[in-house]
Amino acid sequence: MATLPSKPIADDVSLLVVLIDTNPFFWSTSSSSLNFHQFVSHVLVFLDLIVRLSQLNQIVVIATGHNTCDYIYDSSLDTDQVTGEGELPALYSFVLQRLEEFVNKDEKLGAKQDGLSEKRVSSLLSGSLSMALCYIQRVFRSGPLHPQPRILCLQGSPDGSEQYVSIMNAIFSAQRSMVPIDCCYVGSHNSAFLQQASYITGGVYVKPQHLEGLYQYLATVFAVDLHSRSFLQLPRPAGVDFRASCFCHKTTIDMGYVCSVCLSIFCKHHDKCSTCGSVFGKAQLDAASDRKRKASES
Amino acid sequence: MPQVRIIAKNFMDMVAALPAMKLDILYENPFICEAILRSLPPLAKKYVTQMLFSEGSITAKLLEEWVLPDGSTKHRVSIDRLVQLRIFTESVESGRKKEKSYRLNPTFQANLQKRITTGGVLPREPMPPSLTGRLPSLEELEKYALEQWECFLLHLINSGQAEKVTSFSPSMMRVFQRGLLSQSKDPKLTESGFQFLLMETNAQLWYIIREYISNSEERGVDPVDLISFLLELSFHMTGKAYNLNTLTDVQRSTLSDLADLGLVKLQKGRNDSWFIPTKLATNLSVSLADSSTRKQGSIVVETNFRVYEYSASKLHSEILRLFSRVEYHLPNLIVAAITKENLYGAFENGITADQIVSFLQQNAHPRVAQRTPSVPENVTDQIRLWETDLNRVEMSPAHLYDDFHSREVFEAACDLAREWSGLLWEDSDKMRVVVKAEIHQNMRDFIRGQRQ
Repeated sequence: MATLPSKPIADDVSLLVVLIDTNPFFWSTSSSSLNFHQFVSHVLVFLDLIVRLSQLNQIVVIATGHNTCDYIYDSSLDTDQVTGEGELPALYSFVLQRLEEFVNKDEKLGAKQDGLSEKRVSSLLSGSLSMALCYIQRVFRSGPLHPQPRILCLQGSPDGSEQYVSIMNAIFSAQRSMVPIDCCYVGSHNSAFLQQASYITGGVYVKPQHLEGLYQYLATVFAVDLHSRSFLQLPRPAGVDFRASCFCHKTTIDMGYVCSVCLSIFCKHHDKCSTCGSVFGKAQLDAASDRKRKASES
Repeated sequence: MPQVRIIAKNFMDMVAALPAMKLDILYENPFICEAILRSLPPLAKKYVTQMLFSEGSITAKLLEEWVLPDGSTKHRVSIDRLVQLRIFTESVESGRKKEKSYRLNPTFQANLQKRITTGGVLPREPMPPSLTGRLPSLEELEKYALEQWECFLLHLINSGQAEKVTSFSPSMMRVFQRGLLSQSKDPKLTESGFQFLLMETNAQLWYIIREYISNSEERGVDPVDLISFLLELSFHMTGKAYNLNTLTDVQRSTLSDLADLGLVKLQKGRNDSWFIPTKLATNLSVSLADSSTRKQGSIVVETNFRVYEYSASKLHSEILRLFSRVEYHLPNLIVAAITKENLYGAFENGITADQIVSFLQQNAHPRVAQRTPSVPENVTDQIRLWETDLNRVEMSPAHLYDDFHSREVFEAACDLAREWSGLLWEDSDKMRVVVKAEIHQNMRDFIRGQRQ
């Protein structure tokens, strides 16, 4: 018997979770033609566009800071319908105000930990990705009717290799729940994490060549709903940096040791796996070099 | 969603059919630009957003390059719609290549740009609470809207159950009923009328609005004014009061009709009077696109063919009455039984089993909606079986042959009919055979040949 499949409201209604990078280290040093102010204004227009494309479209904005991340805006909550002061629409003034609060909070948190933390310049992408996925899970569970979710990362700061494990976990859980992660990387070098995220989840990775036209990139590539994507020519990845980070020193490596039990990655040979505790035998490479050394001694 | 033929797929077809000059007038209003943007097919939306901030035109070839081969039909549909709505203007370059190129309608583009970057103000400001006093809450408003709408529907189907009277003139009512009720002395719901009742509210609303607009010229109202006012109305905020003074005379008279439909609530204060848009009004532009909105159902069907509907509405009981026997009517509950007699009645009136089943499924109570299937299988199967019972006899034009002069000829004729797969019946004792009308010519030629 035909049963009603759990189907989203319509093919072209989307739930867009946008992660905005507010990392002060990146934005203060970014030498590119785009400063934070311009960046935000491009993004705001884009957000407004998404909401206007369909009344059922929903957006959630999450700020990715240096020390923390937080929900900035959720269009499904009626934010007491403040009519915008002056010329700006309500959405703009609300998001701007919340962003400012967030940046201040982030700064305070940073000041507190200043002594403890080392020179870390990446932002807390793993945190905001997890928050986005949690939100999407809640939407999935809210009932059979829900818009099609996708995540858009607007990232500028370099990868924090210490977050490798948690980011990869987030990516795989996104893949499992069929949520594509789109990335628009505005930094100077490509981000290996985000390239992998888009590649694995079937999203789109774009590194705009002309940052002053960021809005055009956003509107052209990321405003398209998931249904229409299937018949559009979208930017394809030129090459994905698949390198992993090791679990012990969090450095990106080309070649390393993999635990045969839990697949943890290490850059150096260990006696015991730090993740699952399995005991390793002597590595071939080391054994060979040992023999050589012995040979030279004798 | 019951497949309903009586409703043209989209309200926008009507807008697209407007003459060019009137469309240009429509686009001078940024709200209408936005409403129209929302109604576009997804690919068309993409083209508009992409070209929104770029000046100049784009060649058709370049546009096509964005689309994969699979999507070329969708691409063409989108482009056609954009050209139809005059959002795209087509120009053919006079050069030797004769390339087609498109550009956005400048008024549309400018208005949409303004709307997105600066938001723009609502067509009219809501009145301050100091002037209006306490306004109805959103729940009250929704209840009011549904009551009005149901009352209107009850009138529409000429049920004696309606308590209030609508202010629609009988002639107006007749316009709405055209196509839904049979035009005899004792009006009865037609097939499409039944389908109309089984549709969801938004689709019903658009059907009525469409009739209302297409009838507007007879009443001396410009359809463009009506369309723009209706689209504008959908951008007002639900539950806020808006002063009637800000409206033109035409709009005010329209508004009293809309109040009858439950789109707005009219209220009078000491000095001013105002209108409060309800959810029905603000959802108007949502339903422009083909997407359906969520609606919570209230029907539980049990395996013993009992139907329970948790609703106090008379309209619901009228709808249930279309295909089942209503047994009790409690204050918040209608109990009905699906019986063979009632279903036969429904089938005779042109409702199909699939429509009934999908209606039951769509309106399933949230508790049972979680289950699969939401309507017990034995019930759905039985409904379908009863329907096929009615279709037991199939008619097809045929020809009967008898008086064959020899058994050989008869056998050969039967074989021929079998070869053409047109044999319907044969009786070898009395040498009679019935074949489909299509192969009559071949049979006749064959038998004539045999005779010689």
